[in-house]
Amino acid sequence: MATRLQYENNCDIGVFSKLTNAYCLVAIGGSENFYSTFEAELAGVIPVVKASIAGTRIVGRLCAGNKNGLLLPHNTTDQELQHLRNSLPDSVAVQRIEERLNSLGNCISCNDHVALSHPYLAKETEELIADVLGVEVFRQTVAGDVLVGSYCAFSNRGGLVHPHTSIEDLDELSTLLQVPLVAGTVNCGSDVIGAGVIVNDWIAFCGSDTTATELSVIESVFKLRYHFFE
Amino acid sequence: MRLEKCWFCSSTIYPGHGIQYVRNDAKIFRFCRSKCHKNFKMKRNPRKVKWTKAYRRLHGKDMTQDSTFEFERKRNRPERYDRNVTENTLKAIKKIDKVRVDREHRHHTKRLTFSSLYCCNICDLDQLLTCFEKMDRMKPKKAQLRREAEKELEQSISMVKAPAAQQQDPSLTLPIKVKVSKPETVENRMEE
Repeated sequence: MATRLQYENNCDIGVFSKLTNAYCLVAIGGSENFYSTFEAELAGVIPVVKASIAGTRIVGRLCAGNKNGLLLPHNTTDQELQHLRNSLPDSVAVQRIEERLNSLGNCISCNDHVALSHPYLAKETEELIADVLGVEVFRQTVAGDVLVGSYCAFSNRGGLVHPHTSIEDLDELSTLLQVPLVAGTVNCGSDVIGAGVIVNDWIAFCGSDTTATELSVIESVFKLRYHFFE
Repeated sequence: MRLEKCWFCSSTIYPGHGIQYVRNDAKIFRFCRSKCHKNFKMKRNPRKVKWTKAYRRLHGKDMTQDSTFEFERKRNRPERYDRNVTENTLKAIKKIDKVRVDREHRHHTKRLTFSSLYCCNICDLDQLLTCFEKMDRMKPKKAQLRREAEKELEQSISMVKAPAAQQQDPSLTLPIKVKVSKPETVENRMEE
């Protein structure tokens, strides 16, 4: 079931939040509405953590994670790192990595088994991703763009990619990731999927500009509707 | 807030001080004051500038390898907050600091006791070398040691032996034949 929401009147919620199967990170905002929407859906199930990274609100684009771990950029302060470590369950490994490409949310896109990474990511970083997140890493581009985290969003059950992805690319990615993929848009025609929608295995959140058609595509590809039939 | 180290002189940069320069390859250079920043802009190598920690470590003036340095590392994988661990860590920091300062002081005193040559009867180069080796744990290279020893002997031998005693007995030396140059012709002088 997909929910529509806004962060301070901005529809790019993927910038200000990060959703995984084990936790949810939320930016510290002016009003509590953003946080409340997450809390309403996820309260008892997974911890919803208010955090900042490097003193900024753009937590969704700076960090990358799944149920096994969370990767943070090198300019995350020690206090923020400690706060995240205290708030997240022990099964999640929190790690700060020294990497030139800071915005890990834009460079890494992952689910619990496989990850796509920016082709220019350092070798040590790739090894760290495989180690901390417990995933198999593939250096790939999506629709000819290197920022894989921004232009695709996938969970363990399905994925949505940039609308201009060719069919061959779609098939290739699908075989790599082992999930069904669909090329679509979010937030009324925006091709930045990573900013528009955040998803885990049973729930998705998207910007309030998302049309009903886009919402139905999201629900069908991420298999969110089937919950009601169980 | 994090207390960083100056890239040039390795001193701690406290909040409100210094400049940070971020290069196009995303490498961050932090400077504690404009002195270090200006030296950096002049493209000086800190390993060649005498007052920096990098120079002092490289040339054996300061302690380089010690187990106390292993404690002060940047850690990227935090541990869950535990009050007792934090309390013990704070106590340990104080102790480790004290130990480190003591060891550095000992290193300095060892290095500086060479100047007391007058108390040892050293007239021989080899004796001087062994004295150096015994007293210095962090040995500089052998060639450098030898050069230092030679210089010391040359400069400070007057403290051990009187200048008069250093001159050899004239009766033991053979007379040296000195060639007398021919007087210059008048024509050559006129050309100049």
